[in-house]
Amino acid sequence: MQAQLATIVQQLINGITLGSMYALVALGYTLVYGILLMINFAHSEMFMVGAYVGLFTLTGLTNPHLVGGLAAFFKGSGFGLVILFALVFVVAMIAVGCLGMLVERFAYRPLRNAPRLAPLISAIGVSIFLQNAVLLWVNTMALPFPQVFPVKEITIYGSAQVSTLQIFILVTVIILLTALDTFVARTRMGKAMRATSQDREAAGLMGIDINRVITFTFFIGPALGAVAGIFNGMYYGVVLWNMGFIPGIKSFTAAVLGGIGNLRGAILGGFLLGIVESLASGFLSTGYKDVVAFIVLILVLIFRPGGLLGESVVEKV
Amino acid sequence: MSMGKAKRYVALVAVLAVVALVVTGCGGSGASTAGSGKVTVDIGIGAPLTQGATALGQGMVRGATLAIDDVNASADAKKLGITFVGIQGDDQGDPTKGVNVANQFASDPKLVGVMGHLNSGVSIPASAVYQRANIVMISPASTNPQLTQLGRKNVFRVCTTDAVQGPVAADDAITKLGKKAVYVVDDSTPYGVGLADNFQAEFKTKGGTILGRDKTSDKDTDFKALVTKIKATKPDLVYYGGIYNAGALLAKQLKDGGVTAPLMGGDGLYDPQFVVLAGAANANGDYATSVGLPLEQLPQGQSFLKEFSAKYPNDKPAAYDAYSYDAAKVIMESALVAAKSVGASSVTGTSGRQAIIAAVAAFHGAGITGDIAFDKNGDTTNKAITLYTVTNGVWGPVK
Repeated sequence: MQAQLATIVQQLINGITLGSMYALVALGYTLVYGILLMINFAHSEMFMVGAYVGLFTLTGLTNPHLVGGLAAFFKGSGFGLVILFALVFVVAMIAVGCLGMLVERFAYRPLRNAPRLAPLISAIGVSIFLQNAVLLWVNTMALPFPQVFPVKEITIYGSAQVSTLQIFILVTVIILLTALDTFVARTRMGKAMRATSQDREAAGLMGIDINRVITFTFFIGPALGAVAGIFNGMYYGVVLWNMGFIPGIKSFTAAVLGGIGNLRGAILGGFLLGIVESLASGFLSTGYKDVVAFIVLILVLIFRPGGLLGESVVEKV
Repeated sequence: MSMGKAKRYVALVAVLAVVALVVTGCGGSGASTAGSGKVTVDIGIGAPLTQGATALGQGMVRGATLAIDDVNASADAKKLGITFVGIQGDDQGDPTKGVNVANQFASDPKLVGVMGHLNSGVSIPASAVYQRANIVMISPASTNPQLTQLGRKNVFRVCTTDAVQGPVAADDAITKLGKKAVYVVDDSTPYGVGLADNFQAEFKTKGGTILGRDKTSDKDTDFKALVTKIKATKPDLVYYGGIYNAGALLAKQLKDGGVTAPLMGGDGLYDPQFVVLAGAANANGDYATSVGLPLEQLPQGQSFLKEFSAKYPNDKPAAYDAYSYDAAKVIMESALVAAKSVGASSVTGTSGRQAIIAAVAAFHGAGITGDIAFDKNGDTTNKAITLYTVTNGVWGPVK
């Protein structure tokens, strides 16, 4: 009995870690949808590019040939590690955030007043472009993610263990989610984002610089996606050009599950999906985890078409 | 339309027509002849090059390229005036892409045969396309038994099957490694499922315990939940039917999750990339069976290694470089045999291609990987399997 309970606890820990990554990516989908009513299918590639930028920054900063004695400092002490990972995340967030802004400027903005299918197709195009750019210019093979982060297992209940990496992921994600939630609720820019999401034209008439709001949204979403990408690389140990595809679809599902356009919904959806998946593969079969995850989605959409926290709007246009 | 424009229009159509005639003229009759009886023919290399098991796929290209160089330099090819050119088709380890590649190969009128594919799941549907076009196909790596049991006379392979590999792996696990309780995982591809089934059946027959069986996907990266499940059953071995891409992540996550039992798999895991992706510390002590004997133990192995490192100084042979060399060489030598009977210029016509298939079926000779001959289904008669393990981050045969 105790052993079974420990297994359940362990699966919950697995699910929460997976869910926290889904939640981060789902925020990117939901932010863009909330403001532009557009599904940014290139978002999964922000996740992938983030993982690559993080990997290269990490290997660059720990390579003594490039940074000399700094490498020993970064790897040697706890303080060095904190600085190292702060740098890795900040560099990846800025780089991928800028990439997101570029994509918006050149692939979506010209189509902003086009029929809604056009930007969707453009997004798919950007996704294919980015995947193939990495494939051609970086590597066709999967790259291993070096284990620089000191991973230790901590026993919490029976045989159930939580690793320091899992704690690190969860704590970082909670900090980021709280920060974003507060930002949108409290700041001037956050207010502008909410206003734009309610009615873009009216917000523009009230003197809000719509382009600035949209550009900012396309910085924040991809930057969060980049963090999730690095976590994914650190957690599973590998970075690959098509690594964004499946987490991207799952996170989009999470955003829909929670109510697309709703920030807290995306977070709830992400965690819920991660936990359901882990429990399903742990207690049914790994082959059925997606089946169970999507059954949950279908059930939620049958009974609450707007998602768990989304309001049912019949037609927003 | 003015007169001047109309004239230009007519001229354009005329030029197009001439171009079309030249193009189809070359294509229609098959092998292109240029100058004094010189014939250039294509050999298809179907392998995963951008997605899937690319480390193995690139090895297939290397092996086939070496074979093409060797055969082109041989006296027979020169006497007949035939030059072979390797045409790469990237099947991405995906059945749909594989059939596209097969259709592309089949529409090439200069094709003598196909060396490929890697994944059984790709080889099986692709072989149907080749059968319709009378194209011989020799797989260096597809080990699912079904491939040669579909009554397709054009299909051969130089590696043995999982009907041999799975049971040998199970016997080795019990007798050599002393394992008693195994958890079996497959990757839902025909290769992975077939191998795991064959392993599981023999392991059970020999008195071992099967603690559980799970399906994953060959594109999965998250095995954490599965690892937790496996850990609770306390196995002394985890068997994985699949390719190194996902297998390495399973190996890493098993060790991360505190499972001390080693991972064992088939030829799909036997690649240096497995160690790179899993990390040497996690891969050490894991096992894989692979087809044939280690190159170092084969009579022609040393000369192959020498030739290999001269052409590819920065690479090491992967699991199938030597098999791909042999497969490509059998196709080309059979094409030369066919050319002698039907003539070099019609070797890629229907009668030529049928003669190639007949020549491959009757082939008997020494290859890099041992003696090569095929049984009535097209399976190799060389049924050797070797057990390898990772020691200090390097695959080596278990003594």
